[in-house]
Amino acid sequence: MMKRSLLPVAFLALASGCTPAPDAATLNGLVYCTEGSPESFNPQLVTSGTTIDAISQQLYDRLLDIDPNNGNLLPALATNWQISDDGLTYVFNLRDDVEFHQTEYFSPTRKLSASDIEFTFNRILDIHHPFHQTATEYPYFDSVEWRELVKTVKAVTHSQVVFQLNKPDSSFLSTLATDFAAILSAEYGEMLQKNQELPQLDTLPIGTGPFKFREYKKDVLIRYYRNGNYWRKTGNLDQLVIDIVPDNTKRLAKLLTHECDVAPIPRLAELSLLAKRKDFEVDQQTSLNVGYWAFNTQKAPFNNVKVRQALAYAVNKQSILQAVYFGQAEEANSVLPPNSWGYNPDGQHSSFDLVKAKQLLDEAGYPNGFSLDIWAMPVQRLYNPNALKMAELLQADLAKIGVSANIVSFEWNTFRRKLRAGEHDSVLIGWTADNADPDNFLRPLLSCASAISGSNRTNWCDSQYDQLIADAVLTADVTKRRQLYFLAQDYVAEQVPLIPIAHSRRFQVKSSKVTGMQINPYGGISFTAAGKTR
Amino acid sequence: MKKFRLYYEEYNRGPFQLLWGHFARQHTALFGLAGIGILLAMALITLVLIPHDPYFQDPEFLLLPPSWQADGMVKYPLGTDDLGRDLISRLMRGSSYTFGLAIFAVLGALAGGLLLGALSGMSKGFKSSIFNHLLDLALTIPSLLLAIVIVAVLGPGLTNTIWAIMLALLPQFVHGVRNAIQDQLKQDYVVAYRLDGANDWQILFSVILPNVWEQLILLSTMALSTAILDIAALGFLGLGAQSPTAEWGSMIADSLDSIYLAPWTVALPGLLIFIAVLSVNLVGDGLRVAMKKRREN
Amino acid sequence: MMLRYLARRAFLLAFVLVALTVFSFSLNFMFPGDLLTNVTGLRDIPSEQRQELSQAMGLDHGYLRQYIDYTRRIVAGEWGLSFSSQQPVLAEVRTVLPATIELASYALILSLILGIPSGIIAAVRKEKWLDNAISGFALVGYSVPIFWWALLLIMIFSLQLGWLPTSGRIGVLYEVPHHTGFMLLDIWLSDLPYKHAAFRDALIHLTLPTLVLATYPTTVMMRFVRESMLEVLDKNYIKTARAKGLNRAQVLYKHGLRNALLPVTRQIGLQFSTLITLAMLTEVVFSWPGIGQWLIDGIYQRNFTAIQAGVLVISTLVIVVNISTEVLHTLFNPLARKF
Repeated sequence: MMKRSLLPVAFLALASGCTPAPDAATLNGLVYCTEGSPESFNPQLVTSGTTIDAISQQLYDRLLDIDPNNGNLLPALATNWQISDDGLTYVFNLRDDVEFHQTEYFSPTRKLSASDIEFTFNRILDIHHPFHQTATEYPYFDSVEWRELVKTVKAVTHSQVVFQLNKPDSSFLSTLATDFAAILSAEYGEMLQKNQELPQLDTLPIGTGPFKFREYKKDVLIRYYRNGNYWRKTGNLDQLVIDIVPDNTKRLAKLLTHECDVAPIPRLAELSLLAKRKDFEVDQQTSLNVGYWAFNTQKAPFNNVKVRQALAYAVNKQSILQAVYFGQAEEANSVLPPNSWGYNPDGQHSSFDLVKAKQLLDEAGYPNGFSLDIWAMPVQRLYNPNALKMAELLQADLAKIGVSANIVSFEWNTFRRKLRAGEHDSVLIGWTADNADPDNFLRPLLSCASAISGSNRTNWCDSQYDQLIADAVLTADVTKRRQLYFLAQDYVAEQVPLIPIAHSRRFQVKSSKVTGMQINPYGGISFTAAGKTR
Repeated sequence: MKKFRLYYEEYNRGPFQLLWGHFARQHTALFGLAGIGILLAMALITLVLIPHDPYFQDPEFLLLPPSWQADGMVKYPLGTDDLGRDLISRLMRGSSYTFGLAIFAVLGALAGGLLLGALSGMSKGFKSSIFNHLLDLALTIPSLLLAIVIVAVLGPGLTNTIWAIMLALLPQFVHGVRNAIQDQLKQDYVVAYRLDGANDWQILFSVILPNVWEQLILLSTMALSTAILDIAALGFLGLGAQSPTAEWGSMIADSLDSIYLAPWTVALPGLLIFIAVLSVNLVGDGLRVAMKKRREN
Repeated sequence: MMLRYLARRAFLLAFVLVALTVFSFSLNFMFPGDLLTNVTGLRDIPSEQRQELSQAMGLDHGYLRQYIDYTRRIVAGEWGLSFSSQQPVLAEVRTVLPATIELASYALILSLILGIPSGIIAAVRKEKWLDNAISGFALVGYSVPIFWWALLLIMIFSLQLGWLPTSGRIGVLYEVPHHTGFMLLDIWLSDLPYKHAAFRDALIHLTLPTLVLATYPTTVMMRFVRESMLEVLDKNYIKTARAKGLNRAQVLYKHGLRNALLPVTRQIGLQFSTLITLAMLTEVVFSWPGIGQWLIDGIYQRNFTAIQAGVLVISTLVIVVNISTEVLHTLFNPLARKF
């Protein structure tokens, strides 16, 4: 007995400086299992869907929201808005009852005001903004050419903010409603400036969302507590834990053993397995995404359009759909998925034809084939649940026309770094849309500007194409826009900077105990109203 | 026909016959030997003769169950994996990787061990003492750990793995050979031979080596089971054979994705590793028992 | 005599540690890529800082001076930054190492609890059915690839029956404050409202990994104790004791056990290094956040600073434990003193 009572004393002495015990936390929480660690806690700085799912809807609010049922815009932090007749001035009126998170590292003294909106967007626009330089890029905003589009953002009164544009843009409101346009706290920014801890803005987040940040362990988990002062009605969760499980198989295992309550399962080979069980519900949702094979068009032989066309004929998409997507995806003929209004059902595309492929290769001057590297991303994504497997299939396909493929993969961060540096021959990767606008596919994936900002992995820079998509956003006439997008897609089909492979359906498996959870087809998953029955 | 003997003569069976006699009396050991024989034959034969190309992908039949199940096919007796590759062909080819390369690694380590062990066994003095201490220490580090360390430095890949395993097995061979030689050096017949004027090398080759080879075989069987497990483990960890190589360990890692739909794609390669290691261990145990019994009688 | 022996062991330990640091130091040059990056772990060092950093790391001196600087940094705890996370490597090692040691210790304890009695029973009942059963089981456990065994157990107990969790140290909803890094101890020391539930949850998470990890050492222990026991039972003093009229149990208890179990102390040291190795595989299968999984991730990501640190820590650990158990063994067991 003596011995037992001595031990804790000895260890308590060692344990000085430990974190204080959580005050409100009980076990009433929900576990969402995700595929990867977030790159940042600020949506302005990221494009990856995994990160957005984990941070955006949970920690932040936006001026506008997208109705998940029909894609229309809904008021969020902005109660209403007016657009001037010339389409250059946007005025937003804000809610007056929105509070920022109260955490261990920040205590807000005031509610949301127009200055917060100004702070948020000027960070991207204004190179003299104190936080502008703390990030090297704002990928999403760079890809929609935000800096060229927006002239000023100004807080006119406490609750009114005005955006001045340089040119009319029919997709501007959609951009503000994306998960990237999260609203930050200007007061928190001032505090960090005073303490000279600028980078903390993106690592210890303060937002207005339904959950507030508690802790983050890289590659292990993210823990959020409920924001008790949230302005919308919330569910009964006290905490939300985002469990980081990169491995598909392990994620499913955790779901089956109820270690996870909700998990995205990009590969639904096991759907039948789950469908049989009463304790799970499978949500199916169409999603706007595309998995594709991009060529680095700056490199020989991929600067030769004939070579690219030949490779397009050599890809057996049907077998990929079976082996990689287990039939839970549609064959892609364009980067735009068929459910987008810009998709042309009668558009041009190439089909599987080895004879034609061989013939084109001869014409291109490679009768004996050549060798290339296929970079396969090391992570699983909705648009490509198993890039390595897809690469192995392509390897076998290409061997038939005498092209020998070498599969390359790195750890994800290294992979993206090298990709940005343009070290690849070709890469298997994909894209998930952030809003319903076709521009959200065609510009970030293939425009010149995004070749520089990094989301265009083909490094393809074609003035004719850029003109087409630029003309399209200048008009508000949908029929005319559609015509221009048809032309742009046909041009891409002819030039083949990339080969679209599949549009995957989105599945989310959740325990039957979870209620009120919402998946948005245009991006993130929201746990605002989520609860759990016992 | 009974052998006719004119004179009574003392009939002594040779040491090998004695050993075999004791060995053959253990059924499990014979099973093990048969297992090794089959695997070895498979490792060699599959290099030229195999039902299907183990890398050919049949997109028509993905994750086909084994043929005895309702939707299986005779064409693919054990079914196909998630890329439509014939599982039985891959398993057979795997024997030349996991089992064949393990033998190769053991032979390499044996050769190196003989060389270094002979050098150190025949030498004495301070240098030898330091060497021995280091060797003792190296012996306490598990070969898999050594192999992982070596692969960590060289980088992942099957070739690097084999080198790493060879190096990792080396200490136990050096140690075994050295001890065996030093035991022999104390024997009277070695002293007698030396008095006849034989030099070190003559003693080593004509007296010592013929007397230690049985021990070397025992040593090799133990090393072989380690080598198989190490190759498979490194393959499983993704540090050894890389997909699509049909190495058993990496096949398990590759098939993990299908564990729910097609558990046999995970179970079968593992079963083969298990059988291979078990066979080798059975033979090793059998040999040890046989040698002990021969000594006792 | 004893002092001389200890001095020799201490010298050997020192020699090996120096050899290890030399090896680890030379890795800086053997790894591909930029030397300064390999040493510091910093990515994309701006060229204006290169000069200064080089000097701070002592890279402008000869190899000997560089090595001395390197060991000084190791001792001072400046292990550089991890390539992938850009966090100090030492801090990462500190969080992952206790997890491995915790798992390995429980497995070791389990293997002793299971292995020693069954080894004794097998020896006493030599070549009876109980011995055959135990020896057979030992042979099977000795031959089974541990990662495959782990997968089989997961398939049965987690996926089919749903009894046990598949990964991690504790359910993620439990927020256990970090004191020592040993989960059970941390829970015990905490003042959480859900302490008992958390403790139970941690135990449930431990079950499968411990069982898998203990399999191999248990079988080795069984075989070892059985052999050792048989050898002792064959000794003349046992026969003498029997002849003096002691019954079986008395002989076994008074003479057999003590002598047979002495070599086991040495075996524990050897098993520890095996455990650390097998823990790597176990950790990978069960997503146990230990040093093995961390090192293997490091190898896969070509995270050189992490590889260097991982190799150094694991080898040092293994060697220190080995030498110290050998010394302990020699102190307790006069027969092992060869000097």
